[in-house]
Amino acid sequence: MARTAAIVSSCVLIAAFVDVAHADGQQTFESLARPFLQKHCLDCHGPDSQEGDVSFHKLTGVDTDNVELWKRVWEQVALKEMPPRDEINQPAPIDRLRLSKWITGEIERAMKDKGGFHAHRHPSKGNHLDHDLLFGTVPEGLEPASTPARIWRIQPQEHLTRLNELINREPDFNPERPGLRTRGDFIGPNLEGEVKVYFGLDRLIGWVGGTAAYAAAITGFSPVFSTEAHHGLRNYPMLYSVNGSEATQIAAIAEDVLHFMAYGPDAEPYQFADKVGDIDNKYKHESLRGLSQSLFYSKSPKRPLTPVYELMNEPGVSDDRLRAAVNYLFEALTCRPPSTSESDEYLGVLKEAIDDLGKEEGVMLGLTPIFLDRDALFRTELVEYGTPDKYGRVMLQEQELALAINAAFSYIPPDEALKQAVQQGRMKTRDDVKREVTRILEDDRIRKPRVLQFFREYFDYDRAGTVCKDTNALVSAGGDAKMETHFRAMFGMTANTDRLIELILQEDKNVLQELLTTDRVVFDATKDMRYFAEYVGIDKSLPKPEAEPTDGRKKKGKGLPNSIRATPLPKGQEIHVRIAKVVTPTKTQRVLTTLPAEQRRGILTHPSWLVSHTDAMDNHAILRGRWIRERLLGGAVPDVPITVDAMLPDEPTETLRHRMRVTREDYCWKCHQKMDPLGLPFEMYNHIGLYRTKEHDEPVDTTGEIINSGEPSLDGPVNNALEMIDKLARSERVKQVFVRHAFRYWMGRNETINDAPILQDAWQAYERSGGSMKAMLTSLLTSDAFLYRTRPEETLANAK
Amino acid sequence: MALINRRGMLQGVTASIGAAVGASLLPGRALAESATRATTSAGKPKRIIFFLQNQGFDPETCVPEGLDAGASLAGVTLPEPISPLEPYKGKINIITGIHGRHTSPSHSAYFGALGGYRGGIGVAPSGETIDHVLSQLLPQTILPHLRIGMDALENMISRPTLATLSASGPGKPLFMHSNPNSLYEMLFGGISTGDVKRRFEARSKVFNRIEELAGQGGRTLPTKERERYDSYVDGFREVNGLRERLAGVSDHLKKFAPEYGDKFLKPEFETDWHDSLLDLGIAALKSGVTNVLTIGSGRGEIFGSWKGLGVVQAGHNLGHVKQPDNPIWIKIRQYNCQMLVKLMDALESMPEGDGTMMDNTLIVYTSNNADKQHTSGANWPFILLGNCSGRIKTGQYTQLDGKRPINALYTTLLHAIDAPRDRFNMDKTTAGMHDPKVGPIEELMA
Repeated sequence: MARTAAIVSSCVLIAAFVDVAHADGQQTFESLARPFLQKHCLDCHGPDSQEGDVSFHKLTGVDTDNVELWKRVWEQVALKEMPPRDEINQPAPIDRLRLSKWITGEIERAMKDKGGFHAHRHPSKGNHLDHDLLFGTVPEGLEPASTPARIWRIQPQEHLTRLNELINREPDFNPERPGLRTRGDFIGPNLEGEVKVYFGLDRLIGWVGGTAAYAAAITGFSPVFSTEAHHGLRNYPMLYSVNGSEATQIAAIAEDVLHFMAYGPDAEPYQFADKVGDIDNKYKHESLRGLSQSLFYSKSPKRPLTPVYELMNEPGVSDDRLRAAVNYLFEALTCRPPSTSESDEYLGVLKEAIDDLGKEEGVMLGLTPIFLDRDALFRTELVEYGTPDKYGRVMLQEQELALAINAAFSYIPPDEALKQAVQQGRMKTRDDVKREVTRILEDDRIRKPRVLQFFREYFDYDRAGTVCKDTNALVSAGGDAKMETHFRAMFGMTANTDRLIELILQEDKNVLQELLTTDRVVFDATKDMRYFAEYVGIDKSLPKPEAEPTDGRKKKGKGLPNSIRATPLPKGQEIHVRIAKVVTPTKTQRVLTTLPAEQRRGILTHPSWLVSHTDAMDNHAILRGRWIRERLLGGAVPDVPITVDAMLPDEPTETLRHRMRVTREDYCWKCHQKMDPLGLPFEMYNHIGLYRTKEHDEPVDTTGEIINSGEPSLDGPVNNALEMIDKLARSERVKQVFVRHAFRYWMGRNETINDAPILQDAWQAYERSGGSMKAMLTSLLTSDAFLYRTRPEETLANAK
Repeated sequence: MALINRRGMLQGVTASIGAAVGASLLPGRALAESATRATTSAGKPKRIIFFLQNQGFDPETCVPEGLDAGASLAGVTLPEPISPLEPYKGKINIITGIHGRHTSPSHSAYFGALGGYRGGIGVAPSGETIDHVLSQLLPQTILPHLRIGMDALENMISRPTLATLSASGPGKPLFMHSNPNSLYEMLFGGISTGDVKRRFEARSKVFNRIEELAGQGGRTLPTKERERYDSYVDGFREVNGLRERLAGVSDHLKKFAPEYGDKFLKPEFETDWHDSLLDLGIAALKSGVTNVLTIGSGRGEIFGSWKGLGVVQAGHNLGHVKQPDNPIWIKIRQYNCQMLVKLMDALESMPEGDGTMMDNTLIVYTSNNADKQHTSGANWPFILLGNCSGRIKTGQYTQLDGKRPINALYTTLLHAIDAPRDRFNMDKTTAGMHDPKVGPIEELMA
């Protein structure tokens, strides 16, 4: 029904579409905004009535003083919050779009010298563009899509993985044992949540002292870059640059990396042996614990032996050796071979440093600049050399194109086949792109951490280990009294969810639906049983549970607390997950098993996702509801007005649902009705993810409602999260919204009306292929939005 | 990053080095005397320190009991949370009744707290902040503005730099340093190699070349992208300039370097690093390297951790409790005040002109969050410490009427350092709504 309506309204407004799609700067306050305000707003927000203390009749345009007001107007109009839904005289979607575009353009103009205005470009505002406009009839005359020419600061993991490539040799992919960490996979956190690259870890045969001493002795480095720490997509190029402090850190790490590439572990000869037993006991004195001298390494090098090693391993210097080192590093760090002038440039710097400091020090210092080359920190999409088409678009070519394709999947440099394609002039056309994308997608040996990262950002299941828990709240929900144990379980379960997603991606059938409804789980029997159990509460008729030992050690064989009833799961089959091994060999073995249908379904019911959407004390129904609203229904909630004191009453003996009564006040409910009824069905789990049927000794209320979803067949009450998930997983709109998020992630920007045909094609590709992520990605990565860039006139003129 | 004109910077380097080798100069004065942009003499304001604790500063925790309206602090006892300041109450001015409604301080005003404009999470600064402005107006130093940020240990490790409070202009955030090891290296790295001239020169040459290459890399970028990229080039330029300038005065700096030991290298709690960062800040002030120090305790955000004080709770929940009579907040506030005392003592120990460095210093203590975590910003308490070369009244509690904004206080600071303006970051239209007067807050001026 809604779809039909959308198609009708779209057809009527074809002419208007064209106008919105490329009429920047044509409209004025008088020609566009005032008539809109007069027609739809002034009755309630004008001279005679100022509902909510808001009035528009004195507005004459956008300036720095009224930006806040206009921003609210933009969000209210774009999100169909205003005029109120019961108002019969609603603006057409195209008129809403036209006004929204005008307002954001005007705010950008007004804020140009005041720090700019970027909010509308942020991924969290992507849904401000009406879903039905994007998926309705695509009008003729719409200009084809493209993306502005730009640079991407490389992602923290991308940077770390590339540096890791220089010093550690990771195993190749083994199809017999998928799931183990292999070359090209991201550097996962260890069970403490720490992400780090270590020097010489693979060569270590022993050490003095315990694991704490070892952890203190081994050296490594953490990611230098960071991304915004928030829920949702984070991978937009507009959000990041490199600051001076980061550049300084990179320079420092570069010298350590180069030193290791040349010489291996920084250790005395006595620290190397075939086995620890061969090392003299005098070097195993406990006073060495925690020091780098306490580590023992195997005699044979395991690190990659690169031209930097070759240069330092023989006496003297030769131009050939120096150039080989420069070229090797340049390609390893920028993912492309250097031009002759680039190679000459860095060779010159290197030689000068050697002249100044001698070979040993000069090489370390002289090669550092390559780590700070623009293209080692940023990936460019500048189309500097192409000829624009009639729309001013230039297609990415050759090296830039190859790197864009590579970066859609991988963190490490392109494989040989892709490099060959560039060298042989087979990286020019859309067909070339399709050929390479298909090849990469079909080859499991080429690891695709970027694809997994999309699911982390789309689902937000990877934050469970970062949610601080109140100790009492943790224990009373059935958690372990030792906070550390809880966090370790959460990081472990995040890795388990990673693996389940990879498995579903490998099957590549009805991917979204499967993720939302699968009965499968990757399960660690030793740690996860507690979290997949049922919380039954303390039965006062039973004897008191035995107190935990105060030193935090667990009694041998001690089972789950009385408040928990274990959920029996089938034995399942063995599967491996990626947990970074740091201190001791970490167990990577898990089982792939199934969960009882009456308790859980899909990753939204797994503790990794559930706990990611909680706070220290309780569930976060608002956050969960917001997730459903944004990521599945394609809706959005305007920014919280600054006047809102967003706090629930502190009533520990009451249910969250009861405490959330405050959001039902008229002023709050307008927004909260979009979130709360979608989040409260998850009250069937407590705040550490345990299933429950009772709360405070009463049957837990798990009802909720889908309100104004945009797809009327979805709207209506639901009894619990499982029923709601089933309903949503079948929805066409939900799949389209999934495609919208994939578009944003891979294009690095919010969609515009010009992208409508691309989104529809990608969705069709997904639908026709039976829900294949590969088909959808192939469609997106061969689209104009991915392939074409527009450059502003002035830079085209300046470009050499 | 702060944009320093390269030519000006190099001139500054030469001047600073020249000044530093002049053995007759007193240590504290040595570098400041090399000012090229401001003339100065003893008895004029020389330095300003900002200390912002996150999660709000409840007026009930700083106004002495029984003092309803403004009055002298003599004869009254300071409330428990700020009791460490008791011996110094003749030198402080407790102020309430300033507002920051326009800064949207609920949770945090972020850049707006020192900018006097609307801030919010993820919102770019819409103008320069007062600390940066003052750093440009006070006698010029090698590192005009040092910013340190204190947070949970894990956060300081994982995000050793963060920009939430200071800015050099619209869209130009200034980063705080949170890893004391990196900051130590930056400030005092030259000491250990100060005499290895050959190495230093080779390094400078390579790093200057990186800067040039980075600059070339931005030439053909589209305008918007170039702005983003320039923050990398500028950052590198600043780092280069600073390294050269600091290395040039390493012999002088040596005297002020804090002990580099376990507190830096093996911190047990986050407070070990908080203390280390403060020590570095003090060293930078005493050595004359810096004239403006901004301290962000909680780094302008809604998190933070003080396990070293025995506060088990961390993060956002700390803001969900009322501060008055709360043992956690008493501990945190007292810890802040002990830091303020340490700053004052350190500066009092340094002769300057006819008195001490503290005589020419002003410390501004407040929160980036007005009075509490969820707030309209109607009452934003401050404590000023030191009289700024006699320009600011001290020894009193000043209760204002809630009509003048934080911008007026910042205007007052500009007047106090002889750089008067009518208003700070507030145009006439906004002032029409938020500030009925022009110029400094008269009640505060001596």
